[in-house]
Amino acid sequence: MSLYNFKKIAVVPTAKDFIDIILSKTQRKTPTVIHKNYKITRIRAFYIRKVKYTQQNFHDRLSRIIQEFPKLDDVHPFYADLMNVLYDKDHYKLGLGQLNTARHLIDNVAKDYVRLLKFGDSLYRCKQLKRAALGRMATIMKRQAANLTYLEQVRQHLARLPSIDPYTRTIIICGFPNVGKSSFINKITRADVEVQPYAFTTKSLYVGHTDYKYLRWQVIDTPGILDHPLEERNVIEMQAVTALAHLRAAVLYFIDPSEQCGHSIEEQISLFESIKPLFNNKPLIVVLNKMDVVTPEDLAEQKRLLIQELEANCAKGNIVNADGNSELRTVPVMRTSTMTGAGVQEVKIEACERLLGHRVTEKCRTKKVDGILNRLHVAMPAPRDGKTRPPVIPESVLKKREKMIEKENRKRKLEREIELEEGDDYVLDLQKNYSEIAEEERHDPIPEFWEGHNIADYIDPEIFDKLDELEREEELRVAGGMYATPKIELDETMREIRELAVQIRNKKAVLKDESRLVKQSTKPVMPRTSRARDRDRSAAGLRHQMEQLGVDMSDTKEANFTKSRSRSRSLSVPAKRARVESRSVSRPARDTQGVKDVAMQKRAKHMAHVAISKKTKKMGLKGEADRFIGTKMPKHLFAGKRGVGKTDRR
Amino acid sequence: MAVRVQFENNNEVGVFSKLTNSYCLVAIGGSENFYSVFEAELADTIPVVHVSIAGCRIIGRMSVANKNGLLVPSSTTDTELQHIRNSLPDRVKVQRVEERLSALGNVIACNDYVALVHPDLDKDTEEILADTLDVEVFRQTVAGNVLVGSYTTLSNRGGMVHPKTTIQDQDELSSLLQVPLVAGTVNRGSDVVAAGLVVNDWRAFCGMDTTSTEISVIESVFKLNDAQPTAITSTMRASLIDSMS
Repeated sequence: MSLYNFKKIAVVPTAKDFIDIILSKTQRKTPTVIHKNYKITRIRAFYIRKVKYTQQNFHDRLSRIIQEFPKLDDVHPFYADLMNVLYDKDHYKLGLGQLNTARHLIDNVAKDYVRLLKFGDSLYRCKQLKRAALGRMATIMKRQAANLTYLEQVRQHLARLPSIDPYTRTIIICGFPNVGKSSFINKITRADVEVQPYAFTTKSLYVGHTDYKYLRWQVIDTPGILDHPLEERNVIEMQAVTALAHLRAAVLYFIDPSEQCGHSIEEQISLFESIKPLFNNKPLIVVLNKMDVVTPEDLAEQKRLLIQELEANCAKGNIVNADGNSELRTVPVMRTSTMTGAGVQEVKIEACERLLGHRVTEKCRTKKVDGILNRLHVAMPAPRDGKTRPPVIPESVLKKREKMIEKENRKRKLEREIELEEGDDYVLDLQKNYSEIAEEERHDPIPEFWEGHNIADYIDPEIFDKLDELEREEELRVAGGMYATPKIELDETMREIRELAVQIRNKKAVLKDESRLVKQSTKPVMPRTSRARDRDRSAAGLRHQMEQLGVDMSDTKEANFTKSRSRSRSLSVPAKRARVESRSVSRPARDTQGVKDVAMQKRAKHMAHVAISKKTKKMGLKGEADRFIGTKMPKHLFAGKRGVGKTDRR
Repeated sequence: MAVRVQFENNNEVGVFSKLTNSYCLVAIGGSENFYSVFEAELADTIPVVHVSIAGCRIIGRMSVANKNGLLVPSSTTDTELQHIRNSLPDRVKVQRVEERLSALGNVIACNDYVALVHPDLDKDTEEILADTLDVEVFRQTVAGNVLVGSYTTLSNRGGMVHPKTTIQDQDELSSLLQVPLVAGTVNRGSDVVAAGLVVNDWRAFCGMDTTSTEISVIESVFKLNDAQPTAITSTMRASLIDSMS
C-alpha cells in the first residue's frame, strides 16, 4: 500500500521563487564584506565561492525535483499508463528532461565563470564576473518557468491520486455513465463516492475497501465509459480503461435495463462486446442493476430478447476467456438493486469468490505455495493409548455459552473501572482476592524478616496442630510441678553486695551520660590508624625487672645501660645547659619566650596542645607536622585567568 | 473465542500472562487495562491473579502451569510464592524448582495431560514436572528449536507450533500430544507463538497485531467457536493461500 505513495514529493517553486530562494541563500550563507587590506587572491576566492555556492544550490534543488518525480519506466504499468492519460507522457518526460538540461547549463556557466574569475585582476572585475555568472544562471531558470508550473500541477494532482495497490485483491466496477456504479461501491464499502442523477458524476478513480473471508478487498469505482473507438475517448474514460487493462481484478460490468441512464440496452451490450478484450483472463460478472424500476421480464419484447441473448452468450462462456480455465469460462448475469439493496451482497460474494479462486489457482501454478504447504496442514493425532484426555471446561462457561448471555449482564466491577474511579489514589490491592483466607485476616501485614529470620522459612501448614500439642505437653509439665522454682534464701552479706552492685551500675550509667553531655566537640572524630607508642622501656624499669628475677643490681649505678639520653626537650642535658648559661641568657628556649611565669607557660602549652589535637583529630593527621594539601594545583590559580590583583589566595 | 489484547503497547501477551483451565496469572503492570481484559472474560469462573516472579513481569516465560499445578523458578522470592499460594485454590500444587534453565515457560510446553520439554532439562525437574502437573513428559524439539515452550501453544483441544515445522514433525508431535496441531503465526507473522498467544479450553488471548486470518486459524484449531480444525484445510484454504503467498 505504501508502495505507490506520491504524497511525499516536495513542492516545486515557480521560477521567480526558485531564483529568489537560491540567491537569498547565497547572500545569507556566504561572506559579504571585503576589507581594503584583502589581497587579490582572497578577493578572487571570495567571488569564486559565491558563484560555486549558487551553482551547487541550483544543482541540488533541481536534482531533487528530477529524482523525486516518479520515473514512468520504473512504476507499475497501471500507474505509468494512468499518468500518461492524465498528464501526457511526452510532456511529462520533456519537462523533467528540460530541467535536467537546465541543470547542466548552470553547471557549465559556473565552470566557465570560475575559470574567468581566476584571471580577475581587480575587485571591480571580479565582482562584475560574479554578477554576470549569477545573472546567467537566473536567466536559465527563468526559461524553465512554464516547466516548473506544469510540474507543480502534476505534483499536486499526483498527491491526490487514490492509493491503489496494483497487486492486491481488487474488484473493478465499470459500465456506462449513470448506471449505478457509485451507488454500488457505496453499498459495499465506506468510500462515500458522490452520487448524482447525471452522467459523469464520477470523474476519476475512487477506492474503497471491504471485508470478505478474513481478507481485505480493494474496490475501484471507475468513471463511465461511452461506446466509441479508443482514440476518441476522453481523459475521464481513459482512466477507467487503464484500470481495466492493467489491474488483475474481478470485473463487474453494470447494465441498466431500465434505460434511465439515457443509453439503450443495445448500446450497453455493444459496449460490453467492444471492451471485452479488456476482460481477458479476469473473472467477470454482468450485473443488471435498477431491478426496483423494471425487471427484464417486464420489458418490451424486443429488449427482453436482447437481455436473453446476452444471458445465453454469457452462459456459453466468455469467448476471450475460453482457455480451459474452467471457472472463468462462464459469466454469471446477476440482478441487483442498489436502491433497495437487493442482490448487492450476493454480487459482492460471487465476485470475491471468483477472484479468490482465480488467484489461488494462479498461485498454485507457481512455486510460492510450496513454502506454506505445511501451514495448510492440520495434523490429527493417531491414538497411542486408550487414555481419554477430555477438555476441562467449567460448567458455568458451558451454561453461559448455551444461553449466549455473555455480554448482557456483567455484575463484576472490573479492576480497571475501580482504577478510573479512584484516579491517583488507586493502589493495587493484591490481597483482596485471597481465596482460602478469612476476609478479616487477608490484609494482616506479614514482614519479610523478623529479628533476622526469614519468615518464609518458618511457615508450616500444620503450625496450629503442633502448637496445640506443645501446649498440651506444657500443661502436663506444669501439672507435674516441673517449673515449681525452689525459693532461694539470701543471707545478709549477699544482699548488701547486690545492693552495692546496683548502686555502682546506676552511678556508671549516670557518669556515662554526663560525659556525653559535657563533651566539648560534637563533630565526628576520625580515629587514628595506629596509636602513639608509650615509652615502655626505661633504665629503672629494667633494674626493677632484673631484681625481681633475682639479679644483684646493687653496683650498676654507672653501668652502660643507665647512660641513655632523654628525648624530651624539656629535660635537656645538664652539661649543655651549663654551656648555654655561660654563653648568654639573651636567647631562652622558644617555649619560654614571652611568658611571664611557669603557670602562664603551662597554660600556653595546654592551649597549643588543644589546638593541635583538634586539628589532628578532625583531619585524621598524625601530628602537627603532618601537613595535608587537598589540591596540589588549584585550577583557578594556574589557569592563567586571574584578574589584576588576585594572585594571593590566602 | 479469541480476544486481542496488548500489555503496555506490547503485543507479546504470552510473556506477561499465564492461562490455564483453573486459574490465570497476570503480570503487575502500570495500569489495570491488561488485567481487566482477562478479568472481564475469566474472573466469573476462575481466579485471575496479579503475580510477579523474581520481581519481574515476564511471568509467562518464567513459569509453567496447567490446571493441576504451577512450577516457578528458584529465583522466585518467598513472599511472591506465599502470595501465589494464598491466591490460588488449595488443589493447585505450587512448586519451586532448582533448574539451570530458569525460564521454565520457554523450555516447557504443556497442557493438562502431556508436556514437551527441552532436551537438556534436568532429570529432577522432569520428575517434579510429572508429579506436580500430573503430565506425561516428552523431550522434543519443534522445527529444530530447543525452546519448545516458546514455539508451542497447547490446550487440551488443540495446539499451534512454529510456522516452519514440517508436516512429518507436526504429525509426530500431534500423536505424542494427542491433540490436533497446526503450524501458524500470531501478531502479523511472528513465529514465537507462545509469546503472542495464551489459550485454555474455552478462551484465547492474542496480541493486538494478530490479523483476522490468524485469529480464524487460532479459533478453529483450538475449537474456540463452532469451527473444527479441519476447516483450515477446507473452507479457509483459499484465504490462507492468498494472504500468505
